[in-house]
Amino acid sequence: MSVIAEKKKTPLLKGWNTLGAREARLAWLLILPTAFIVFGIVIFPAIFSVWISFHDVGLDNLNNVFNTPFVGLENYRQVWTDFAFKFQGLQSWGAAVTSIVYSLAATILTVLVGLIASLLLNRKFRARGVMRAIFLFPYVAPIVSVAFVWRWILDPRPSGVLNDVLMSMGVIDLPKAYLATRGLALVLVIIFEAWRYFPFAMLMILARLQAIDSTLYEAADVDGASIWQKFRFVTLPELRYVLGAIFLLRLMWTFNKFDDIFLLTGGGFGTKVLPVLTYEFSFKLFDFGRGAATAMILLVILLIFMGLYIGVVMRNVEE
Amino acid sequence: MGVDRYTSSLSTADEPRSFLDHMAAWINWRRFLVSLGFIFFITSILFPFYWMISSSFKTRAEIGARRPVYVPGALRLEAYQELFDPQNPNYKDFGINILNSIKVAVPTSIVAVFLSVLGSYAIARLKFRGKEVMLNSILMIYLFPGVLLIIPLFAMLARIGDALGFAVQDNLAILIFTYLAQTLPVALYMLTNYFRTIPSEIEQAGLIDGCSRVDVIWRITLPLAIPALVSVAIYTFMIAWNEFLYALVFLNSRDMFTMPIKINAIFNDPSPQPHVVMAASTIMTIPVVILFLALERFLEEGLTAGGVKG
Repeated sequence: MSVIAEKKKTPLLKGWNTLGAREARLAWLLILPTAFIVFGIVIFPAIFSVWISFHDVGLDNLNNVFNTPFVGLENYRQVWTDFAFKFQGLQSWGAAVTSIVYSLAATILTVLVGLIASLLLNRKFRARGVMRAIFLFPYVAPIVSVAFVWRWILDPRPSGVLNDVLMSMGVIDLPKAYLATRGLALVLVIIFEAWRYFPFAMLMILARLQAIDSTLYEAADVDGASIWQKFRFVTLPELRYVLGAIFLLRLMWTFNKFDDIFLLTGGGFGTKVLPVLTYEFSFKLFDFGRGAATAMILLVILLIFMGLYIGVVMRNVEE
Repeated sequence: MGVDRYTSSLSTADEPRSFLDHMAAWINWRRFLVSLGFIFFITSILFPFYWMISSSFKTRAEIGARRPVYVPGALRLEAYQELFDPQNPNYKDFGINILNSIKVAVPTSIVAVFLSVLGSYAIARLKFRGKEVMLNSILMIYLFPGVLLIIPLFAMLARIGDALGFAVQDNLAILIFTYLAQTLPVALYMLTNYFRTIPSEIEQAGLIDGCSRVDVIWRITLPLAIPALVSVAIYTFMIAWNEFLYALVFLNSRDMFTMPIKINAIFNDPSPQPHVVMAASTIMTIPVVILFLALERFLEEGLTAGGVKG
């Protein structure tokens, strides 16, 4: 704060009391508390966690964290060779590959469902406001409640709703443990993500849809375009920017997400993603160094995602 | 009403047209698909909520039946009684946990609104060097996963707590601080966008009339920004109310648990009792959904503000 004020007053204190300088001082004063909290609780810990990932930090020496032994890349080596992390063929993907597959699939599905929902709602009909509000329920409700309701619906006992429905329809003979079946569990978690987060995509897309100039559709009508052609050549190009932005945001958030998978499957049966692995290393094994190393790997993959996105997708959008 | 007109103009005979005839006249492929879409969305959205609420009114016998009971026999409060029973060693009284959640969520929301008003006003209205860097670095928070931050936070706060003599575990104030860090960027972003939509000429008029900056903010800008303030307050309240990971790590004693952690503990109880879990979930969900429905318009504005330009 003072550095900036200092710079301003260098030419013989000139400008210290000008309107501009007073305004800048006020601005810094106003933003300081926020900046302090965000820096203290986000930026500094983020840097500190790089440091931790190179040290052997356990529960015993947590109080003396600055004097813990430096172990170089040992934590990273341990994570890299851990059976929960590395890819060992199609039967056991490991946390890194599972994370990537899970977040890509869940994000694509979320955006698709959100697009369909927004197209459904982007018409004039009675009860539209009510429908819109109902569509937002999954996104608004607490994650703990909805995750446990879904677990209760997917209950492995014959009294589980899905078991009951599928058995009385004759699709399956014996009750299935849906969230405890490798493969199926991952698919269900992905579907759950789409169910919970499509309203976010829907809202964004809906706002953009309503901003599309209606003369574009009138022109298409004059040219005799079908509904599909209007969607393909008018709506979709108009939505390209917002779809890209939602995709990137949701991809990052899904990749970072801990709660959903932890509550649904506890990270078992082929659904162990990097955030859950980080949690287990840190707060089940109390090996904070290894946990931090896992989190750093997570962050690097995230940055690669972003780089690819900005390099490939954004460039295409500009052209 | 529209249907009546349809009937009178189309039916030639005196006998009333049946429901199926109505449907046949109304339906076409497009309407069929749209209706199908709505039915699919509405059932898949509402059934889990119905299931949560209805399960919370079931008895132990209905919950343990061989087949699911789709409609509970009566609105029995057995599960709720169990939830608030101070004698029950496993659940104890859920009232404490409700109170803890309120103690965390309300201050988070108030402080977040206050701080983000200051910060976003500065960003939206005042000129100063380093503004863009500041805004971008605060928005970078979106990038950092919660699990990455919790390890250093845990280590850091344990060290500071030791030095200053406060406990990090089971400390709701610490929890509020971490929630502020999670909510402030969103709040700042939403409010900055809103402030930018208020014409600055209004404020300049106030300044020329001799109001101070503080007067201008208090008497002109804030009253105009009430919709945005409400949406930020609700939004941050909901984030704090729903938060799971940090509470899981920072809270150890059952008396300090916020609702999400308590529900998780009840769920993982050795003898599973879904109706009690559903009762607790219902209690936790209802206030948020009601808040949301009451203030929906504000919230949507806030959610999409600035996100869809261009």
